[in-house]
Amino acid sequence: MSTAVGRLVRAELKLMTRDPLVLTFVFAFPVVTMLIIGGAFGTRPDPAFDGTNPSHWYVASYLTVVIAATGLVMLPVHLASYRERGVLRRFAAAGFPRWSFAFAQLIVGLLTTAVACALLLAVAAPVYGIPAVHDVWRVAVALPLGAVAFVSLGVLLGSLLPSARAAQAVGLLLFFPSFLLGAGGPPPHVMGSVVKQVAGPLPLTLLTNAVRAPWLGLGPATGSLIGVAVLAVAASAAAARRTAL
Amino acid sequence: MVVDGLDLDVPAGEIVGLLGANGAGKTTTVECIQGLRKPDGGRLRVLGFDPVTQPERLRPLVGSQLQSSALPDRLRVAEALELFSAPHARDGGELLEQFGLTQRRRSVFSSLSGGERQRLFLVLALLNRPRLVILDELTQGLDPAARRNVWAAIRQLNDEGTTVLLVTHEMDEAEALCDRVAVMRAGHVIDAGAPADLVERHASTAVIRFSMPDPPAQLLDQVRRLDGVREVARSGARITVRGHRRIVAHVCAALVRWEPVPADLAISQPGLEDALLGLLNGNQEEQPTAGSARGELIGGRR
Repeated sequence: MSTAVGRLVRAELKLMTRDPLVLTFVFAFPVVTMLIIGGAFGTRPDPAFDGTNPSHWYVASYLTVVIAATGLVMLPVHLASYRERGVLRRFAAAGFPRWSFAFAQLIVGLLTTAVACALLLAVAAPVYGIPAVHDVWRVAVALPLGAVAFVSLGVLLGSLLPSARAAQAVGLLLFFPSFLLGAGGPPPHVMGSVVKQVAGPLPLTLLTNAVRAPWLGLGPATGSLIGVAVLAVAASAAAARRTAL
Repeated sequence: MVVDGLDLDVPAGEIVGLLGANGAGKTTTVECIQGLRKPDGGRLRVLGFDPVTQPERLRPLVGSQLQSSALPDRLRVAEALELFSAPHARDGGELLEQFGLTQRRRSVFSSLSGGERQRLFLVLALLNRPRLVILDELTQGLDPAARRNVWAAIRQLNDEGTTVLLVTHEMDEAEALCDRVAVMRAGHVIDAGAPADLVERHASTAVIRFSMPDPPAQLLDQVRRLDGVREVARSGARITVRGHRRIVAHVCAALVRWEPVPADLAISQPGLEDALLGLLNGNQEEQPTAGSARGELIGGRR
């Protein structure tokens, strides 16, 4: 890790662990809300939750909340703040390759989601139990694809938004509706038809469905998985075009 | 257009100052030199490389301290050294010691004072043994002792063969450090040369003042006839002599011959600041900044 990119990744990983926004939004927020809402509907199988245990429904849903928090809140604010304060100029002047910072963020974003997901499962296990994974391969494909999609989206947003404040405002505006409609809110069966129509095509809804359905044995969710794959390719290509940040 | 038709050579091994008013295009110029900004046209070579098409070859050879830049708030000083250290880097600990930052090794960037941040940027600029160092507003925010310390480090660096491009508003800094300076206005270099040459060209008037209650007419006549004296004015007991810088020694010598020597003899020698003001105002002959109201003109010539 003595190359410029290696040093940058290492430094960014250290900084990530000291960032209150990351600790709050990516690590604490999903765990706390999962504990609250996971207990709100009990553990008895419920038709509103496709006949599954509501606690398990939310445990299987909340990994994507971690991914969305990383991509829609943490990364845009981090990147926009660096650009606004001249940190990126300093990196560029010091000889770090143009693409290295975006690459470092991709690595940091993926590692952050992995650690935060592990933490979420570690907390959920003794409280609600972790539901058995029915289709391991589909879940194993959907989670990393979703992480790449949202982390790339975060890099893209961070490269487009002019300031940290703007990134925070836009990020939160994207995150909370996505969170309520697509992952951590009420199940689709209790939503009104208009809300359900709005929620359906949201990226986080697609990702949650692509993870939760094969996890809980509710179907392959192939359409959602394809949607996530398309988003991953499009967002990473768009982010790569803006590697200068 | 911020910079237009700029013609600037920085010879290897020299300390060259880039001077000019705010908005003259100095920072834009150094950003182009570092490949942080793409010029619309023209030819730019830095250490033989094109900063736009060969940044990956150029940047390892350049150390820079940029205006309006920062480090991540929570990055510690020692971590910054680790992050910016290339494999051939100097000993960061020695540099921290040299710039009085050893005690701050574990401090995060956001807790450093303005002066400490500037010194850290300088440490980072020097870390990888650069061949060219670009310093933009180097000593802004530094206390006088820290400023002298930084100047000594720049001289030492230059003695070791490193070329330095210094963007500054501090004329004493440019006079103390630079072999040559280039003055920019509205994106052009309007004059360049050794600081003394610029002073000679654009601010050569010295002013000598002294009091003599009853000055002998012979003395005043002798002073007035000295080569280079342009004006001798008297206001009560106060006498003011203006002329080329070389008159100072002659006037003083003349005064020594007439006892008692005036106790309040004051000499205002023009400096680079006067030259810069003269140059930027388009005035070839500015008065030294310590000028005062004129009295009765009792003689002078051009």
